[in-house]
Amino acid sequence: MHERSKIYLYSIIFLIAAVVSDSNYSRAGENEAHKINGNIKTPVINYAVMCEGVKNHEPVNKATVFSVVKKKVFCFTDFNVVPEKTHIYHRWYREDKPAAKVKLKLQPPRWSTFSSIQLRESDIGPWRVEVTDQNGYVFYILRFSITN
Amino acid sequence: MNDLLLFFSNLRWQDIIDISFISYILFRFYVLFRGTNTFRVLAGIICLWFFQRIAFSIGLILTSLAIQGITAVGALIIIVIFRHEIRSVFQTKNLRTILWGFPRRNQITHFEIIEEAVIKLTENSLGAILVFPGKEDLTEFVQGGIALNGLLSREIIESIFWKDNPVHDGAIIIEGDRIVDVGAILPLTHQQDLPSKYGTRHRAALGLAEQTDALVIVVSEERRSVAAVKGSQIEPLHERENLTRVLRDHSGEGAEENSGRKEKIEFSAAALISFITISMIWFSFTSGRDMLTTLDVPVNYINRSPEMEIVDVSLNSIRLHLSGAGALLKSIGPEHLQVKADLGKGIVGKNTVFIDSEDIVLPPGIKLDKIDPSNIEITLDKIIKKEMPVQVNWTGKLDDRLILVEIKTEPSKVAVSGSMLRLNKLATIYTREVSLNNIRRSGKKTVELLVDETLTVEPDSDISVQVSFVVEKRDM
Repeated sequence: MHERSKIYLYSIIFLIAAVVSDSNYSRAGENEAHKINGNIKTPVINYAVMCEGVKNHEPVNKATVFSVVKKKVFCFTDFNVVPEKTHIYHRWYREDKPAAKVKLKLQPPRWSTFSSIQLRESDIGPWRVEVTDQNGYVFYILRFSITN
Repeated sequence: MNDLLLFFSNLRWQDIIDISFISYILFRFYVLFRGTNTFRVLAGIICLWFFQRIAFSIGLILTSLAIQGITAVGALIIIVIFRHEIRSVFQTKNLRTILWGFPRRNQITHFEIIEEAVIKLTENSLGAILVFPGKEDLTEFVQGGIALNGLLSREIIESIFWKDNPVHDGAIIIEGDRIVDVGAILPLTHQQDLPSKYGTRHRAALGLAEQTDALVIVVSEERRSVAAVKGSQIEPLHERENLTRVLRDHSGEGAEENSGRKEKIEFSAAALISFITISMIWFSFTSGRDMLTTLDVPVNYINRSPEMEIVDVSLNSIRLHLSGAGALLKSIGPEHLQVKADLGKGIVGKNTVFIDSEDIVLPPGIKLDKIDPSNIEITLDKIIKKEMPVQVNWTGKLDDRLILVEIKTEPSKVAVSGSMLRLNKLATIYTREVSLNNIRRSGKKTVELLVDETLTVEPDSDISVQVSFVVEKRDM
């Protein structure tokens, strides 16, 4: 195989891997993701997941059901396009009732960030986190449960 | 004087129509019923009512109660006893006569025909009774009788009283130029001291004349004599001229001009008295000392959109502070007042409707002083359909070595209909509890949705959903 052909092949494999990797994260989230409008100054979310922890800027043990024994649950969001310095919110709801609202900053050009809540026995039940911008525009909705 | 000027300055055009209309009705009652027994008894009842008010005002409680009872019974008695007379007033008169016409006196009878007929009857020794009604109705007093309603003629009168005629024993009733009834049976008089020369015909004629204003001409079969009976008097008529005079007097022909003038004066006086009476009644209702009162009036919600429902109101009635004449205020209740709350611009949720004087309907003569409170909180709602995502409600405990990484529901959304206020608070439809205890590997479950009785899952949505879940081993 020629050197040039090898370069092409590696490039294609890399692109496919990147696409598959992105689509996996999307599936792990919620199919309610909102399409981003054409405004160039709007951040573009790459993926959002619920997880048991964050290590080296990566989510650990992505899941949709969390035991209250773990004491903490994390919402991790990754924005692959951040045109300018801005803020987003993680709005936590337990059974449609607001439980927490966390303001998080985003820095260009790309940014990952997360929020977490402490778990208590009374938190058992269905939850959701809405990832929104400062105007309430919903980037993503994550649904999960806290159990025993 | 100032009060009088103030009163006239406050007089509205509706008040003038009000007084005029009722005065005219009272006047028409007088015109239609004058001269009848009903009118006389009605006048008596009005006097009784007047005395009752006097007795009440000076504190004669028992007298007042007794008169009140008599008056109430009297009103009933009028309707029962004089029903025929009342009916005849309305039945025999056309609408024009009832509304604005004046009853005319009976038309002048063709005296010559009657005179000739009476002479022929006496010549042929035929007995007869001829009744000429006055203003009063005879229906109550005359029994039997066959309606004839034929044109008056000497021959007809003769043939009616011919001995072989089956109705020759009864009386005939003559109105104008017509014989209205034949074979009529008249009530006999109760007078015991009548001379023996008078037979049954005279007793019957006197019986009717005593009780009514009718003139009765009696032709004696045996003595071939003629007598006129009017009131309680029997007047023998020896000459034809006497008969003419009696008939003319009864019909009022001689005094026609005078009586017409008298009638005009009588009607004018009646109209004036009616107007004054009604004006005084109206004045007593609308003037006098002002009184204050408060009434709780139910609120009438108007212009509500058919799809809107009232689910809550801050109050059901509004307190109105009113002022006006005491008599008027005492006679009104909440049912005579109307408070309208316009929901035309109402939206789903809480609405504040302000009530002002334009939303309140009051009877004339009543003044609105205050509305308490002047606003109402009304919660409106409507039924809507909303599509919502489905979320699984997990319970129990998943094995520590496992991790539930992905959940999918099919369908992921369901349509639910229900109260808009309720659905606005809901963002998710949850499933019934799904236990994690026995989950060891990925799989599927059918789970029912948890929807309370106020909501309905739309027919095209299923009450159950298919839950697919992916379980992985935890990285230890």
